[in-house]
Amino acid sequence: MADEKVDVLIIGSGHSGGMAAKVLTEKGISCLMLNAGPVADIHRDTEVRPAYSLPFRGFKPPGQIPHVFQADEFDTNTWVDEKEVPYTYAPQNPYNWVRVRLFGGRSLFWSRASFRLSDYEFKAKSHDGYGDDWPISLADLDPYYSRVEAIFRVRGQANGLPQFPDGNFVADTSPFPGCIQRLSGVAKPRNIPVCKQRTSLGVNGLASSVNLLLPDAFATGKLRAIPNVVVRELSVDRNTGLVNGAHFVDRLSRREMSVKARVVVLAAGTLESTRLLLNSRLADSSGVMGHYLIDQIYGAGIVCSVPEARDGKATKELMGGSAILPRFRNIDTKARNFIRGYAVNVWSSRGDMDPRSFAAYGAELQKKMESYHGSGLSTNIMGEVLARYENHVRIDSEVVDAWGIPALRVETKYTDNEFNMARDSVDTAIELAEAAGFEVLAKNYEPNPPGYSIHELGTCRMGNDPKTSVLNKWSRSHDIKNLVVVDGSSFVSGGWQNPTMTIVALAMRASEHLADEMRQGNV
Amino acid sequence: MKRRDFVKAMMAASASVSARTVLGQQAPPAQAPPVAPVSTALPAVAPAPVPWMEGLMQMKPLPLSPLSPDTVAETNAHFFSDRQLAALRRLSEIFMPPYQGHPGAAEAGTAEFLDFLIGVSPADRQKMYQTGLDRLDTEAAEHFGVSFAAVNAEQADQLLRPWLRTWMSDHPPTEPYADFINIAHSDIRAATVNSQAWSDAARVAGKEAPNTDLYWYPVDPDLRRNASQCVTPGRRPS
Repeated sequence: MADEKVDVLIIGSGHSGGMAAKVLTEKGISCLMLNAGPVADIHRDTEVRPAYSLPFRGFKPPGQIPHVFQADEFDTNTWVDEKEVPYTYAPQNPYNWVRVRLFGGRSLFWSRASFRLSDYEFKAKSHDGYGDDWPISLADLDPYYSRVEAIFRVRGQANGLPQFPDGNFVADTSPFPGCIQRLSGVAKPRNIPVCKQRTSLGVNGLASSVNLLLPDAFATGKLRAIPNVVVRELSVDRNTGLVNGAHFVDRLSRREMSVKARVVVLAAGTLESTRLLLNSRLADSSGVMGHYLIDQIYGAGIVCSVPEARDGKATKELMGGSAILPRFRNIDTKARNFIRGYAVNVWSSRGDMDPRSFAAYGAELQKKMESYHGSGLSTNIMGEVLARYENHVRIDSEVVDAWGIPALRVETKYTDNEFNMARDSVDTAIELAEAAGFEVLAKNYEPNPPGYSIHELGTCRMGNDPKTSVLNKWSRSHDIKNLVVVDGSSFVSGGWQNPTMTIVALAMRASEHLADEMRQGNV
Repeated sequence: MKRRDFVKAMMAASASVSARTVLGQQAPPAQAPPVAPVSTALPAVAPAPVPWMEGLMQMKPLPLSPLSPDTVAETNAHFFSDRQLAALRRLSEIFMPPYQGHPGAAEAGTAEFLDFLIGVSPADRQKMYQTGLDRLDTEAAEHFGVSFAAVNAEQADQLLRPWLRTWMSDHPPTEPYADFINIAHSDIRAATVNSQAWSDAARVAGKEAPNTDLYWYPVDPDLRRNASQCVTPGRRPS
């Protein structure tokens, strides 16, 4: 029987766990990584197939992942099966919890959008009085962002906007296609910036924990990993109150096992890390664990057509490409009915239009589709959701997952600030599109359910005061000094920015601090 | 590499290992002692007629390209009532008629496929379809004195066009009947374009089959994955 005590137990293998493993092992610290799901092998686990040969002709298998709007039948088996790992909510307040448990987690499939938070987020309360400031500022995180951007090879363009901090970019010097230039032309007099997207190029097209972070960690010889084990709860030394390991379940056999560790790093994703801590009844002397759940508003936007690109005239110079309109509300002026702000994603396509953009059917619809082919331009909001104590998760004592682990109950909803912001974004997009001479075909003011953005954050927020925050500014538990949480649960506010770069930069910073503390014997 | 080829390669690889280490069929090095007979290496259980897997690794793959059942068979519809299914067939023909060498919904077996799909879908989806199809019939009877299955194209247009909406993915219309009309339209279109008949027509026209993509098989699936069927072996947190 193994009677081994590992130095650091890392739970989760996505971007944050991968960064923790890389930093710690490169400093000579031995790590054991546990992951709840299997290792995917695209050569073994996939095949190119036509939709008609699939069990449901390309439709999402009913009931398996109803909350993963992003999925189709081709990729259904990459997401966490909601029957296997259920969660609950009140019927009037649905929540989309979108999860991947394959080794590497959601880092395998993310959108690659790579933004920094600005001090409009880190110091949001100082700017508008709402909520809380982070215990750190952009200046604290800037060096870590730069190193993360180098690893991820973020392609971007410097814009010099304080709300859209520039970074350590692979320079993007390509021109915008004509349709985006036209949008930019009408946005400028309205003080709305139209900027290049910032995207992780990664290596060989992949920007994941499994190719950018974990290989370095394994190369040190200091990292070992166990896939297919589901952590049930952390264990505690009753004398010291410190965590000393974890109890886990073999995913396939249901065998219950335990492992000992000197330090535990949680990197299971915001809600799984929080669920694990709540199930372990740990590190919540503040009473705010599980509270302040935030994400971002997605789903509100428009679909238009660029008339000059119709009837076979969509050229590469005119169509294709994308842009981002970074936050422009509540910077120098004040919006009428909401605080904070949103960004607008814009993308155009030289491919087929969505048939839902036309109120037509049969041959009439086919002819429209042919005529409009290649002329599409769409927008979508990425909007800040305010951190509110009431928006929370807790353990649902009535429901367990496939391993008997109590499930999470999510109680969250958007309020007028989010709905007003969504409405403003659609009205603004319509105004810009019409000014640019585009035909607006479809619009939607209604945000997708909370969670849809896959940017759940904030349920173990960081802060200087142990009475009002779970983690300190080094992402370490105020209550338990050998417990560090490196995923997105430490966020105090989320802004509109895709959070990956911030999560990875925070994980790098927290892990380096942890290594220093371990070297000095403080942990 | 195709999955099947990969599996074969893996079987061959593991076969060569097991052949060497277990069955001892590999020619031993000249100096090595003779390999023990197979029977003595096996556990003390009743022997199989022959070693179960013998010969499989050496088998030449069949020249088999699996036939999709839709090539030769039709779906037995059994979820919707006869009247509802007749209305769905007519709705499918109207929304997705044959077009420029491509099959329509009728040729693609769309209504029958949707009978299967909706039949295994959650109850709210089923109710939306059933209520919507019933209303199509009611409206056809009120306006034209026939079932929806018997309306002509012009009559169908009068019944359907007022409910057509433009909409964005994940945000269908919120009025229940418009919701049904537009979602059914979208489903009928997808089930037709994704059908084998449509793919065959595309191939004949020298185009690629639409909606061909990388399909993920279940990765190391947990055969007891339904939480509701789970028996908790361990303790609960104290």
